[in-house]
Amino acid sequence: MILSLTDAKLDYPKTTAFQHFSLNVKAGEMVSIIGPSGCGKTSLLYAIAGLLPLSGGTMQRAVGNEGVALMFQQDRLLPWKRVINNVLLGLPGEKTDEAEELLQSMGLSSVMQHYPHELSGGMRQRVALARALIRKPNILLLDEPLASLDEQQREVLQNDIKEYVQNHSITLLLVTHSLQEAVFMGSRIVMMTNKGVSYELQNQLHGEANLRTRDEFFTMQKTLRHHMEASR
Amino acid sequence: MKYLRGMLVVLILWYIAAFLLASPVIPFPHTVLMYAIGQFIPQEMHLHLLYSLYRILSGLFIALFFAIPTGMIAGRVPALDRLISPVLYLLYPLPKIAFLPVFMVLLGIGDLSKIILISVIIYFPASVTIRDGVKEIPFEFLQLAEAYHLSRKQVLKDIIWPAILPRIFSSLRITLGISLSVLFISETYAASHGLGYSIMNYWVMAQYTGMYAAIVLLSILGLLLYIIVDWAERLCVHPRTNT
Repeated sequence: MILSLTDAKLDYPKTTAFQHFSLNVKAGEMVSIIGPSGCGKTSLLYAIAGLLPLSGGTMQRAVGNEGVALMFQQDRLLPWKRVINNVLLGLPGEKTDEAEELLQSMGLSSVMQHYPHELSGGMRQRVALARALIRKPNILLLDEPLASLDEQQREVLQNDIKEYVQNHSITLLLVTHSLQEAVFMGSRIVMMTNKGVSYELQNQLHGEANLRTRDEFFTMQKTLRHHMEASR
Repeated sequence: MKYLRGMLVVLILWYIAAFLLASPVIPFPHTVLMYAIGQFIPQEMHLHLLYSLYRILSGLFIALFFAIPTGMIAGRVPALDRLISPVLYLLYPLPKIAFLPVFMVLLGIGDLSKIILISVIIYFPASVTIRDGVKEIPFEFLQLAEAYHLSRKQVLKDIIWPAILPRIFSSLRITLGISLSVLFISETYAASHGLGYSIMNYWVMAQYTGMYAAIVLLSILGLLLYIIVDWAERLCVHPRTNT
């Protein structure tokens, strides 16, 4: 297991984000995490990234903090840095060629010297993704990264992320509100409430190229919706 | 262009005042201008200007040298801020100009006492402005730095410094006016050079044209400093640095 959480709990000063949360993730697995608003999904990712300490339970990670990259819901690009320098944030200058190559492969070669405010929402999210990927993470944590994009942009970026993650054998944990996104991206879909995992679904068709047009794609979403409503 | 328009308005008002009063106490602008140009080198006006420039720039640099770390520490470390901020608030409103004699006794009657007085006056508003700038850095950026394992030096260089640069420039703009007034007062005591000295010297000799020429030079010095600060800000601060 690359990541293992057992009876994890995270408390804020006045409230509990989540408790009784257990999850084992194998290397290379792509896990979508869904659940109602306020069930602690984002807090869970922050705890895995080491930004928030667990209040109870245990977390075991086979990789150190450097092996984990978190992409936030908002792009959080620094407005005073050009695209290339945002990607290289905190990294040595020798990584410049690599960053340029990555941006090129993501269709951002023409905007490398631009400032974030000169980019569209989709481009900004791509840059934020490049900033996470350049670190060659073993575990990639995505916190609703595509929520602010329109459907067309979202689907394109979903395809790109999935392809990249699969090709580089990265372990993915994706928090999303969208059932469609959860089924498309996840080899496993985990439904959580603030009292732990309420339902799990293995996505046998995860690797299929025509997943979006398969009947099972919609059946799985219906199943998840049914369980989500039942857990309310 | 905007500066030229401003100068034109001042000149028109000056001409009107000179014309209405018709007194040697308010000479016509062109007389003052001719005097300033004619006497710039023979009357060592250029030296007075350079002395004043040296004092004010030194004062600014010394003030920022101490205000930047003070503001950064107060903004970043709440425990120290609880100690630093009350001291700043307590000393900020003191009329520092009243301490000029004390500075003269402690630091001598030369340049140092004048420079330190200017820097002390700039230090307080600059520290408070920089502290507020650091406090207003979005938490999201600091969390990003933590998530991407930036070192303290990198956080300072890539996040805090660019975020407070606009604050440093606005504190400079706010304090430039005060420092010019203080410069004038400090140069009227125990000085042999400087525009303040020059103004008072012409005044006691009842040479109003010369006095106005020195005042105009002091005003031009202020304008130049504002232009330099604006220019440096455009060079160093990205326009979208809204934190």
